[in-house]
Amino acid sequence: MEILIKNGYVYDPINKIDGEKMDIAVKDGKIVESVGSNAKVIDASNMLVMPGGVDIHSHIAGSKVNSGRILRPEDHYKDVEPRTTVTRSGVGYTVPSSYTIGYRYAKLGYTTVIEAASPPLKTRHTHEELNDIPLIDKTCYLVLDNNWIVLDYLSQGEIDKCAAFIAWILKALKGYAIKIVNPGGVELWGWGRNVESLDDQVPPFNITPREIVRGLCKINKILNLPHTIHLHTNNLGKPGNYRTTIETMDAVKDLADGKPNIHVTHVQFCGYGGDTWITLRSGAPEIAKYVNNHPHVTIDLGQVVFGEATTMTGDGPFQFILQSLTGNKWKNADVEAEGSAGIVPYKFKRKNFVNAIQWTIGLELALLIKDPWRVFLTTDHPNAGPFTEYPRVIAWLMSTKAREKTMERINKRAKKRSVLPSVDREYTFYEIAIITRAATAKALNLTNKGHLGVGADADIAIYNINPMEVNPSKEYKKVRKALRRAAYTIKGGEIIVKDGEIVKSFVGETFWVKPTMPEELEKEILREVAEKFKEYYTVSLENYIIGEHELARSRSITVNTSL
Amino acid sequence: MGEIILKPKVAFKVPIIAETITPDNFAGKSIKEIEDLEAWEGNRKTTLGELFEITGAPGETPKDTKIIIEGDVKKVKKIGCKMTDGEIIIKGSVGMYLGEEMKGGKITVEGDADSWIGTRMKGGQIEVKGNAGDYIGAPYRGDTKGMKKGTIIIHGNAGNEVGCWMRGGTIIVKGNTGLFPGIHMKKGTILIEGDCAGRCGAMMKGGKIAVLGYVPSILPSFTFEEIKKSFKIKGEKIKGPFYVFTGDLNENGAGRLHVSVEKNKHLQFYEKFLE
Amino acid sequence: MKTISNVVCPFCGSLCDDIEVDVENGQVTKVRRGCAISIAKFTKYGEERIYKPRIDGKEASLEEAIDKAVEILANAKYPILYGWSCTSTEAINVGIEIAELIGGVMDNTASVCHGPTIIGEQDAGISTCTLGQVKHRADLIIYWGCNPAHAHPRHMARYSAASKGKFVKGRNERKVIVVDVRKTRTAKAADIFIQVEPNSDYELLTALRWAVKNGELEQPKIAGIPAEKIEEIADMLISCRFGALFFGLGLTMSAGKARNIEAAVSLVRELNNYTKFVMMPMRGHFNVTGANEVMAWITGYPFAVDFSRGYPFYNPGDTTVVDILTRGDCDAALIVASDPVSGFPTEAVRNLAKIPVITIDPHETPTTMISKVVIPTALVGIEAEGSAYRMDAVPLRLKKLVDPPPNILSDEEVLKMILKKLKERVG
Ligand code: SF4
Ligand SMILES: [Zn+2]
Repeated sequence: MEILIKNGYVYDPINKIDGEKMDIAVKDGKIVESVGSNAKVIDASNMLVMPGGVDIHSHIAGSKVNSGRILRPEDHYKDVEPRTTVTRSGVGYTVPSSYTIGYRYAKLGYTTVIEAASPPLKTRHTHEELNDIPLIDKTCYLVLDNNWIVLDYLSQGEIDKCAAFIAWILKALKGYAIKIVNPGGVELWGWGRNVESLDDQVPPFNITPREIVRGLCKINKILNLPHTIHLHTNNLGKPGNYRTTIETMDAVKDLADGKPNIHVTHVQFCGYGGDTWITLRSGAPEIAKYVNNHPHVTIDLGQVVFGEATTMTGDGPFQFILQSLTGNKWKNADVEAEGSAGIVPYKFKRKNFVNAIQWTIGLELALLIKDPWRVFLTTDHPNAGPFTEYPRVIAWLMSTKAREKTMERINKRAKKRSVLPSVDREYTFYEIAIITRAATAKALNLTNKGHLGVGADADIAIYNINPMEVNPSKEYKKVRKALRRAAYTIKGGEIIVKDGEIVKSFVGETFWVKPTMPEELEKEILREVAEKFKEYYTVSLENYIIGEHELARSRSITVNTSL
Repeated sequence: MGEIILKPKVAFKVPIIAETITPDNFAGKSIKEIEDLEAWEGNRKTTLGELFEITGAPGETPKDTKIIIEGDVKKVKKIGCKMTDGEIIIKGSVGMYLGEEMKGGKITVEGDADSWIGTRMKGGQIEVKGNAGDYIGAPYRGDTKGMKKGTIIIHGNAGNEVGCWMRGGTIIVKGNTGLFPGIHMKKGTILIEGDCAGRCGAMMKGGKIAVLGYVPSILPSFTFEEIKKSFKIKGEKIKGPFYVFTGDLNENGAGRLHVSVEKNKHLQFYEKFLE
Repeated sequence: MKTISNVVCPFCGSLCDDIEVDVENGQVTKVRRGCAISIAKFTKYGEERIYKPRIDGKEASLEEAIDKAVEILANAKYPILYGWSCTSTEAINVGIEIAELIGGVMDNTASVCHGPTIIGEQDAGISTCTLGQVKHRADLIIYWGCNPAHAHPRHMARYSAASKGKFVKGRNERKVIVVDVRKTRTAKAADIFIQVEPNSDYELLTALRWAVKNGELEQPKIAGIPAEKIEEIADMLISCRFGALFFGLGLTMSAGKARNIEAAVSLVRELNNYTKFVMMPMRGHFNVTGANEVMAWITGYPFAVDFSRGYPFYNPGDTTVVDILTRGDCDAALIVASDPVSGFPTEAVRNLAKIPVITIDPHETPTTMISKVVIPTALVGIEAEGSAYRMDAVPLRLKKLVDPPPNILSDEEVLKMILKKLKERVG
């Protein structure tokens, strides 16, 4: 199928196209130079054209997400999607059912989304759900930092073997990157405890969080993985934790070689100043200052949008604290030899001091970090709010007026403590395109995504708003409205959304990395792993491995390692 | 006052959902318009006119609209959903979710009513002459927002979990109840004139419960406070004496549970804590 | 002869995945490491099989049987689709799409076993883990209203009381408490047996929680247990390093049902203020957990999902199949890999017998006897592969060990044929 998108205002930051009026040609799922006269023409004049959105961190599939669905029927009753001739039915506001996730992302103009935390033992579950998320391309990060085999190797200083093991596990379980969640702390959560600093010991492994992070960062480089380590800090959700965040970033500074080597995720949750909930203040200015001066770091926001949320992380001890603070229902799910997960429903309220501070932190980060290529838009869906609220966040970023409007309604004390009222930066459409697709695609090294150059995947979002006429600063409501429902979303060269409605549905790809490894090394590692497996796991190694045929549409990406 | 009469055309086999049967939806409409209101018969979308013979004339406003349902509507769910005013009289027995999210007006059932009467109710009155099912005034699963205001009166017996997650209002059961009346309740009043199968006020945080009949035991997370002469409900005094307990202490609750002294001789041992 | 190792056993929720079987001439001839249930079932799966589809008791072609099934389902105004706990996740997935397409009620057997566990969880949450966590760390284990020695024979040796873990090396390093209404085989092997009065679990759990909170028990005896004893147990629970509470139908089906689970969840939650504590339902059928999982990710709800209005609606008590049948609300039934006639209350069975029933099952059962349409299928985990979830929601892949009998397809394949025809018909 051929498509010609005519006369749209194109924002394609990777190719340095900033609102140029131009045509985009699509053929066989790719962007091409030109198409024939029979091509379907989409008249995009007076519309905004961007590459399809790429979400670098969202919780969309797997045991944790599904536990959230099961835990929260009250999240579903009033948010229902009846079946249509094209789409399956579904429910859910903060934790939508799988088909609904795919449709809602597509309606926003997003076409690639990463599940941010899959415990290896339950990754088969993650894939089974990813198979049932239609339209978007997807993959998952594997949580590896509290993995006993990893901890064994790291504590023995066997970096190469550890690298080989991680290469194997990414391939065996069809994952994309190394996820780190409260390194060391989650292992201690097995005993109901936690770590408090980067240099706490984690018995019986005789290792510290700092050593885990550094080890995995080195391994990431050895394996030449497309994404950096993706890290959820220690002390997340605690007043004063911005120091831990900066310390963690700094812990791998010397390992960098000019490019980013660490991604710290949902920094809003680890950007707290003060010492207690009463003295809480934003730590965003300090973190932004650090990021501005250190090119080895990228972050995403975890921006709070007020209203219902479902917190779900692999950070068991954090979720435990949250349940005692709120008294809300709490699910905890530890995974043998690998980690944990916790879920607590949460409602972010404007008038609540802590919640209002949290809201300011995300926006301050986005506005104070100068380089949009290193700060990405997320709500850590559904932790700080559902992804469907991204347009609200975009409006806040593009308009001081939108921010002021909300600030008038938030907790007064929180407003007084924030630098936000004095920040007058407003994002442009070009910058929005960076933080929602171009920069995330780049950070993931997905070279065919996040741009509209010839050869790129034809994943395109067209929004019904004229960037030459609408002034987002003043007319932010128009922006919000247009971005909520794409005029068109094109995925792999097919029109899937028209006027905000799904018009076609199919299964997107699941991509995963296949790091190269000398055969001998792989054999040796497997021998060792098999031994450990018998001791550590209640399943056999053979049954742990996920076959490629278990993925609905599998696409492997070979990575040349230096193993 | 306008009166409109609904009569089922046949004996229903599969569940009917008829949330459109409210004075609010009927007021000011012609019979034809009322007949065209949406309903569900199992998985088929249908209309009230397909299911019921409809006669009479509604009033101009919900307030002066009275709906009378004649015949058996045991399988009909959600009658009176979100109604704000007026009256519904059901001459027989009725299905689940009667008066769901009701805000005002009055519903009377002359027969029995199935479970989830007045789920998430916010006002008005429901009176059932026969027996009632489980979960009176309770929200759906997983939700914590139960009945907030209004009154529910059951003349017969009620099932389990009367007033589950209740946040206000009054429930009176003239007969007996099953287990867990007032579970998770935060506010409001429950009066059980008959016996209760047990576990009154489990996990309650606040509110008042009184049982005039027999209860097998008091939950161990309740503490005995005193013997009181009477219990007040809607300004009316009900004569005791009552053993009064506070709980549920497991939930740091301060609910008050009143249990008839006379009908519960087996609880006498608590009196030793009076000193 | 061929030996297949690391076979996942499809006969209970423990899903032991270390079974070794010998296969000869298309038959399983020897089973190693399996428990008695496993060995018996692996070697006798060929008995009581159905080999030919039937309509109204008469042999029919697969084509005819499927056409008949499609006709019944497409015409039904309120059909139920029930069973699903003994088949693959993939088959259940297809079943959900059928239910959605025809506006039926999709429910699995959790509805009559651990449904209350789920409902309790929806009010209070749950602190749980995978079985390996218990094996490595638990120095105190409670079995409450469950009897693994009988129903999950390898559970204690492989995962719990007697397993050998990294930090806790075996049975003698663990304290084992059994709470039950009678002295079961599991209870006999326990360090402490607490005989709770029937239907008093809720009172006992509440008292334990209050005692853990250091509250005073004003009643001398609760649930038949002296207050001092309850306080003693509470102290024991607080002072372990890692506690695990396994529970079964003795808790989910005794008076209070879901509320018992909520009380247990609340006790365990309280205990986490002092130590580490988890709990886990002892799921019976091998993939009942998978049925809950796949239903949840596609519909948002783990069981009892009513699609009659085109989208998922859930409210156990209303939308649970056993309640629907008891009220006589449904007008057709599709039963897959289950035998409700043997397990359901009389009134429900009587109503089931009045409506057209389509049963998809490898074996002859009392339910196939009352069915209008019967379609025999292959046994998942022996004759067909597929995914299944262990009781702790660890997903595993069942293997195909031998070929099914001639012309017998898997549940998944048969359901896909039904779905395809339904789509042509319903659109
Ligand atoms: S315990 Fe269960 S899964 Fe394990 S061998 Fe026995 S029947 Fe099979
Ligand atoms: Zn996250």
